[in-house]
Amino acid sequence: MNCQECHDYIDAYIDNELDIASTIVVKQHLRDCLDCQQLLESRKAVGALLDNPQIRFAVPDSLLGRVQSALPVPRSAVRQRSGSRLVIPWFTIPLALAATIAVMLGLVFLNQEGVINRSQGNALAQEAISSHVRSLLATHLFDVPSTDQHTVKPWFDGKLKFSPPVHDFAERGFRLTGGRLDYLNGREVAALVYQRRLHIINLFIWPSESSRNTAAESFSKDGYNALHWAHEGFEFWAVSDVNAEDLRAFVDLEMQQS
Amino acid sequence: MNDEQTRTRFETLLLPLMKDAYNLTRWLMKNQEDAEDMVQESYLRAYRFFGTFHEGTNCRAWFLRIVRNTCYTALGDHDLKQKQVPLDAEADEIEDTSPLPSVSLSKKATVESVREAIAALPVDFREVVVLRELEGLSYKEISEVSGIPLGTVMSRLARARHQLYLLLSDRKQHDQL
Repeated sequence: MNCQECHDYIDAYIDNELDIASTIVVKQHLRDCLDCQQLLESRKAVGALLDNPQIRFAVPDSLLGRVQSALPVPRSAVRQRSGSRLVIPWFTIPLALAATIAVMLGLVFLNQEGVINRSQGNALAQEAISSHVRSLLATHLFDVPSTDQHTVKPWFDGKLKFSPPVHDFAERGFRLTGGRLDYLNGREVAALVYQRRLHIINLFIWPSESSRNTAAESFSKDGYNALHWAHEGFEFWAVSDVNAEDLRAFVDLEMQQS
Repeated sequence: MNDEQTRTRFETLLLPLMKDAYNLTRWLMKNQEDAEDMVQESYLRAYRFFGTFHEGTNCRAWFLRIVRNTCYTALGDHDLKQKQVPLDAEADEIEDTSPLPSVSLSKKATVESVREAIAALPVDFREVVVLRELEGLSYKEISEVSGIPLGTVMSRLARARHQLYLLLSDRKQHDQL
């Protein structure tokens, strides 16, 4: 590989978008070439400056209500609503939002009811994904916000009958940001929260009924990916809207650790 | 599925994406008012096209493609032609071979200065930077959202980052003083 080729590939290399063979070739070139090392450093410096959630623009408060009222009213609901529609006082907007959230949660529960007859894996995947979505909607992501695995792990002591394995992979792009208690598969489980760029990964853990280790099995629904595996006496469900490859990379890290 | 169920499903899937939609429109349109209009328009369009949305589709990429196209339509051909990268420049190899200034990026780069640097990029470059760095999309997803080929995603990102580096480096800042 020459420098020009290295320059062509360096961004895909940084972004983990290269296949393994090309990654190795780029790595070899970087080891021997000072110029390209400098290019890599400059890319990383730019990346570090951009890796700051404050650079994003936050949604103005009024926008959600505005969009919801602009959407067409479902026909079946027109009859009940049309009379009062023109005189909606301002204070009904928060009520409407609350009702919407209630409906959304209701749908989540309905979905859970609806999949009980499907295979258990699918049902659990659905439940784990619903739980993931709920954690984002209800702004109840953490009971213990901490990036320190030595704070998060002891926090579960006394709250659960088991001690979940807790690891931080900040150096590999998956930052531990906290943990909480959650309820899944009819029992209390540990939920660890990781951040990949701006995406949240929920990792649900509970003791396995068998000591069998299984390979990761993937599920996806509505743009969310879920991976399930069993390892060293624990069941794991990782759920996120990150792309499948990133989630797989996260699971590989987790499997190597535990 | 009746209308109400459709509406509920639409809201469940797409309202959580408003933060992504607004961030993208805000960067493409450059002001809050237009950005809000574009978000509203995107939701209305997405609602109309919701029948074409299938289970298992990447919902975020599907919606951001609508958001992106809504913005581009509003920016208009005239506006875009001025801001777009000339085709011959795009066809060139990435011109990063020039030695990089041996300066480090300002440690004190503020949120504001980084935002200014991103805003200073041509819209085609800004788009890939926002989708990759702020929204965390994969190259494949960026390609889906923007409708540009994977190779072009890669080269635009390279050029955009190079420009950002120059905009944010100390030397450049000193030159401007």
